[in-house]
Amino acid sequence: MAEKRARTRTVPKTSERLARMLVIVPYLVQHQGAQLTEVARLFDVPVDQLRRDLNLLFMSGLPPYGPGDLIDVDVDEDGGIWITMADHFARPLRLTRAEALALFLRGTELLAAPGLSGAPALASALEKLRETLGPDTLGDAEAIQGAAAGSPPEHLDVLQTAVREHEQLRIEYFAASTGTWSTRTIEPEELFSSMGNWYMAAWDVDQDAERLFRADRVRRAEPSGERFRPRGLEGAGRALYTPSGEDTAVRLRLRPGARWIGEYYATTHRVELEDGSLEATLPAKQLDWIAKLLLRVGPDVEILEPPELADMVREQARRALKNYGR
Amino acid sequence: MEPLERLLNLVGLLLETERPLTFEQISDTLDAYRAENAETAKRMFERDKDILREFGVPLELRDLDAWGGEQGYLIPKELYYLPEIAFTPEELGSLLVAAQGGGGETPVEQAAHKLLYGADGGVLAGLSGGPLAAGSDARGPLLLATAQAAQDRRRVRFGYRTSQGKASERDVDAFSVVFGRGHWYLVGHDRERDDIRAFRLSRFTGELADAGPGIAAPGGFSAADHVDRGPWVPGGEDIAAVAFAPQVAWAAANSFRGAVTRGPREDGWVVVEIPMADEQEMAGWILGFGAGAEVLEPANLREVVLARLEALVG
Repeated sequence: MAEKRARTRTVPKTSERLARMLVIVPYLVQHQGAQLTEVARLFDVPVDQLRRDLNLLFMSGLPPYGPGDLIDVDVDEDGGIWITMADHFARPLRLTRAEALALFLRGTELLAAPGLSGAPALASALEKLRETLGPDTLGDAEAIQGAAAGSPPEHLDVLQTAVREHEQLRIEYFAASTGTWSTRTIEPEELFSSMGNWYMAAWDVDQDAERLFRADRVRRAEPSGERFRPRGLEGAGRALYTPSGEDTAVRLRLRPGARWIGEYYATTHRVELEDGSLEATLPAKQLDWIAKLLLRVGPDVEILEPPELADMVREQARRALKNYGR
Repeated sequence: MEPLERLLNLVGLLLETERPLTFEQISDTLDAYRAENAETAKRMFERDKDILREFGVPLELRDLDAWGGEQGYLIPKELYYLPEIAFTPEELGSLLVAAQGGGGETPVEQAAHKLLYGADGGVLAGLSGGPLAAGSDARGPLLLATAQAAQDRRRVRFGYRTSQGKASERDVDAFSVVFGRGHWYLVGHDRERDDIRAFRLSRFTGELADAGPGIAAPGGFSAADHVDRGPWVPGGEDIAAVAFAPQVAWAAANSFRGAVTRGPREDGWVVVEIPMADEQEMAGWILGFGAGAEVLEPANLREVVLARLEALVG
């Protein structure tokens, strides 16, 4: 039984294989000699599976299906793929509305991120999509809008270049959770925009660990002169907070005026209450930082756990009052 | 014969044929449809047609002749092939990079895979290391459905929980979807409130239900005007002067567009002037710096901050 289940999972559906072939064959026709491994990577398919699919191509073609009418695929000894008799698949299938729209939406998101270099190319690409595909495929593009907001981080260009060229960087970084500055050596692998901010997934060389940095908190950034080999760190789409075993579980009851905390930060164990409050658990390495966050919402939050957090909030408030001579 | 092989042959046959082919003609040409039991073969063909149409292969049924007697199948080339889009390498590269962010969503991936055929080596080499959009906090299928509803001017119903936690069913004529500050919004006419409202997609509590044709947006409608821009966007006429401790001053000044740093005080604290739209919002933001900030002006804001701190001490 277990074996059978495993089989159904690993054998992809015919429709998936067909969808893949209808896009891979045009690519192969246009890129004669493309590397098997490279094609597998580009189309996100295991090499073995690609090989099996290619083997089937041999048997398809056009009437009368004689030896000269069938698609001929040859994988040479260096892994280069050569394909002939596939001219009817030299161009891919048109985009469906969902595909065209999903691409347009994604482009709109990226374009709305502040300070993107390469934005003019993306903007004109979206414009060409709109003109060429027209309302039949894409629908009414006017109904989709991006509102660019915020200013770009000062060093976005340096960070972007470092990511592209695999340059190690020395940065001066402000950690909001501790309110402290530090100089770090990092190997930035991916720059991505999320929730209106730019983030950088990087390896922190001194800590010997993966870290996420917010680009607008980098005060200085200079290449160290070293290059690095990317480790394949997870970037766009990852959670913005990585929980660790040492986290304190901060349990809060967020009244309507403080609900934004539950929308902005990753929380767990969310319970909606009758009165519009939200109970949620916020994992935190630094309680100091949470105490400052809670200063902002005052009576709109009730601290359920840990008990010492309420004292910390009061203490923070007392210290802040001293600035005003109280 | 493997189903994949059969389907590829069927697509090839119907693409290349000059006139529509009946099922009998198709089964004469393709062995795969020549089963002992004609009914079985026909059913298989019907299933194959469905599979192809599901992906958008334009498989059409047309009259064989002008008299409208028999009908046959074909795939018109002009409808099948992706139209030639004259992208520059930079444009294609930027689209493919945009498609990468935010974890595998099938329609985006599939679109990118279709566009790859036109990419040359230079474009492909530039695909890694480009900046990405992490997507938003909206679920992909919900975003697609909402965008289509807005494009098609549909009336929609959905469960929604406001930023203040009030949950209810909404009945809305969809006008636009707008992306701002990391969130997607639906902007439309809320029928019950008879007003134009913006709904953040991450606050939807269920799926979108279609409720028929909607009404058109009023003249001069601009979707972005209806989306809450938050306190972070300048536009406030008042200026708040705030002193920050040296440690946090740079980060503070950098979080606000339009903030101007006025240089250090005698004690080393840095005075920053910040355009302010909403006093309570601004007070909250300053309170987040704890003992690292002091409001200097205006007096009102200073009072608000003081009162909130005193309430906290109790």
